[in-house]
Amino acid sequence: MSAGDLYIPLGATAALAAATALAASIGYLRTRNLRFDSMARAATETLLAFLAAAIVSGCFVIHSVSGKWWTWDARLTAALVCWLLFATCLMLRAAVDDPSRRAAFAAVWSIFAWLDVPLVVATAAWWKPGTALPIEWTGPRLGLLAAMAGGLLIRARMRQAASSHPERAG
Amino acid sequence: MMGFFRQAGVIAAKDLRAELRTKEAINSSLAFALVILLMFSFAFDPLADTTREIAGGLLWIVFAFAGTLVLNRSFARELPNDCLDGLIAAPLSGAALFLGKACASFLLVLGVQLVSLPVFGVFYNVPWTRQFPELLLVLVLGTWGLTVVGTISSALTVNIRLRELMLPMLTYPILFPALLGAMQLTAVLMAGNPIGPGETGWLKMMVGFDVIYTAVSLALVETVLVS
Amino acid sequence: MSAVAVDGVWKFFGDYPALRDIRLEAAPGTCLALIGRNGAGKTTLLRILAGFSRPGRGQVRIFGGQPHDAETRRQVGFLGHGISVYDELSALENLTLYGRLYGLADPPGAAREWLERTGLARVANGLVREFSRGMRQRLAVARAFLHQPRVLLLDEPFTALDDKAIAVLQRLLGEALAAGRTVIMSTHQLREALELATQVALLVRGQLAFHGARTAEMAADPATVYARYGEG
Repeated sequence: MSAGDLYIPLGATAALAAATALAASIGYLRTRNLRFDSMARAATETLLAFLAAAIVSGCFVIHSVSGKWWTWDARLTAALVCWLLFATCLMLRAAVDDPSRRAAFAAVWSIFAWLDVPLVVATAAWWKPGTALPIEWTGPRLGLLAAMAGGLLIRARMRQAASSHPERAG
Repeated sequence: MMGFFRQAGVIAAKDLRAELRTKEAINSSLAFALVILLMFSFAFDPLADTTREIAGGLLWIVFAFAGTLVLNRSFARELPNDCLDGLIAAPLSGAALFLGKACASFLLVLGVQLVSLPVFGVFYNVPWTRQFPELLLVLVLGTWGLTVVGTISSALTVNIRLRELMLPMLTYPILFPALLGAMQLTAVLMAGNPIGPGETGWLKMMVGFDVIYTAVSLALVETVLVS
Repeated sequence: MSAVAVDGVWKFFGDYPALRDIRLEAAPGTCLALIGRNGAGKTTLLRILAGFSRPGRGQVRIFGGQPHDAETRRQVGFLGHGISVYDELSALENLTLYGRLYGLADPPGAAREWLERTGLARVANGLVREFSRGMRQRLAVARAFLHQPRVLLLDEPFTALDDKAIAVLQRLLGEALAAGRTVIMSTHQLREALELATQVALLVRGQLAFHGARTAEMAADPATVYARYGEG
């Protein structure tokens, strides 16, 4: 198993976590239930972790092929920008004190970030057409494993947040 | 409906009048733009051909950074005397407030850009007048995108810690597609070529970006202002 | 229909309940004095009534409408701790701006009229930046009354007013109440407020400890309310 095998499962899990974050954000704005905010934050953190791992594995792939650690390949560039998009959501959370304001702001910004993802992917592809990453899909096994790990991570983070803030649990 | 645009107009007029009276934001923005242009000329030989190729990109970096100074003021100017309270208490929809402020900021940022452009042309010996109508189109599209995202960020960050730091951090990643498009098109135009069929895709993408982010900002600004 | 109806309102800041199960009603024409120590929740309650923040639980109705509806806001005037006027604009420009935002028929005319009524006609074209403290406060009062709101929400309005401004505010409040408008004001300055008040509500640590008619005894010695229902 090489780094290249990891890229797609990690990226796919990141995408699933991102979808969870979006659903939770919309859920919060609709219901104002802080539990959705907890889910959105856990999903965003998970998505950042998996996306970072995917980018790093991409770097290893490039290194094994060309000796360089980075290339402005369309996919890697898009992944990096998306990582920044969601990292700023977390930074925004850290800057707001009141929990309900924090939840509302983070939800709004997550939606903004999400809308940008397709635009980022498309423009990165136009900018540098022709991918340099030799990545193959090696079947669903690793993907499912990664997705399960991601789900468990989200649940664990939510439980951790609930235990330190009991009023959010209900 | 007309009430909505009239109210947005009242807000835009107010912001413009206040800014033109003090000129704080536009002066600092213009000074900042000129300083960055100068610093870039230390980093890159301004008259080399290679520099002319990246001139389009350089210009939008200058615009993005200098624009932030104006955009930060957008909601920050409502902080003294609790003026924001007065606006929220009034029968003024968040969307009208947002649109008015965005329009005012747009005009101010565009003004700074139009003053910086000839200076840029002189420092870097770039023929910016050759394709001027199309350059103006790219300026308008790119600046509207910058303004809309910057104004909603301004509303978001007005009352939080590290406001001046958070606004650029939030705005720039979102702007990646629009800035990239603006840089590509400007590079083409600065080389003296019109926008060809291969480049209209970038134009359409910039229009799409502007439409999407204007719509979602108008929809969500109320949530940001009252929470 | 009551002018202001607060039904089971709670407000949380994180874990801390700033307001706990507030229930009160104010009929049209009432002048309600909202009293309590610092941190009791007076400002929090007023800001919810004005539509600045949402209650965590419960409901607020102003003439049957939600505080944040445009139609409701048109009928509410708010005077908070800040004066909410722009330093870099003139007094006339500020009031004309608000006149336009509130949809008045003749914004500049209304602006001039209220500058007259608050004794600022001579400095109409002066920039607020150059006004004295008392002048700024009077301009804030003009701004709150400009659109003839049916409900006035005032947060510690007598604090930091000079004598001239206090006189202006008392006169305007008296006229508003005589015209059947509703006033809710939070205050530390019990004497001035209790003179005008018809009802009194005491907040103690976020809860309503007393709500009833203002008695002659209270007006004579405001401290009795605290002594009887508060923490002394």
